[in-house]
Amino acid sequence: MKGEILPPMSARMHVRPAGWRFGVKLWLPLFLLWLLLIPLLLVALPVLFAASLIFRFSLWRSLKAANGVLAASRGSEVEVDNRASRIFIKLD
Amino acid sequence: MNQDRRQILDLLAEGKITSEEAERLIAAVEKSDAPQSRAGGAVKYLRVLVDADDPNDGPTKVNVRVPMQLLRAGVKLTGVIPDRAREQVNEAMRKEGIAFDINKLTPDNLEEMIEQLRDLTVDVDNASAKVRVFCE
Repeated sequence: MKGEILPPMSARMHVRPAGWRFGVKLWLPLFLLWLLLIPLLLVALPVLFAASLIFRFSLWRSLKAANGVLAASRGSEVEVDNRASRIFIKLD
Repeated sequence: MNQDRRQILDLLAEGKITSEEAERLIAAVEKSDAPQSRAGGAVKYLRVLVDADDPNDGPTKVNVRVPMQLLRAGVKLTGVIPDRAREQVNEAMRKEGIAFDINKLTPDNLEEMIEQLRDLTVDVDNASAKVRVFCE
């Protein structure tokens, strides 16, 4: 796990809403979300750069740390299961 | 007992080496074994398991697995907090009665803490819920 540099590329979800007999299994391609966010990030870069000068923080270090948090979230798992409903999310 | 130690003790028993030499050799063997055992027992995830009996929803199970790497990345993120904001965080914590200095939260300190977490297990057990927090 050490050395992960890429954010989670996909997520697995199992959802069984209350009142449903069967659940739904979903595979979410998160890489498509990152691809959509890259142009937005490019547009936001000048604003972030200006903010970094005003509030005196390192933009490069901030982006690196934010990416680090995203990358480190790979392998996270949350499952809540009760009689009425179930939800399971895993970031891969 | 591993093979290396047995061989050293055999040599000592046969009188081929002195007790001082045996001691040095065993120390060397222990030193070479140490990194392997540490790597094998590295803490990778923080697990939270909740087994509750909810009056409305019935038996409820919660299973959360958080990578330790996320904790490390979070600490690195604190490194980019501007000084002024750090002071505000410390002040807010002090107001809540928590004597905590965010400036002392460094990756080195965190590694030490994670190392100690290896043996941590928190068990809360009452009539309506069981909570277990541990590292694996």
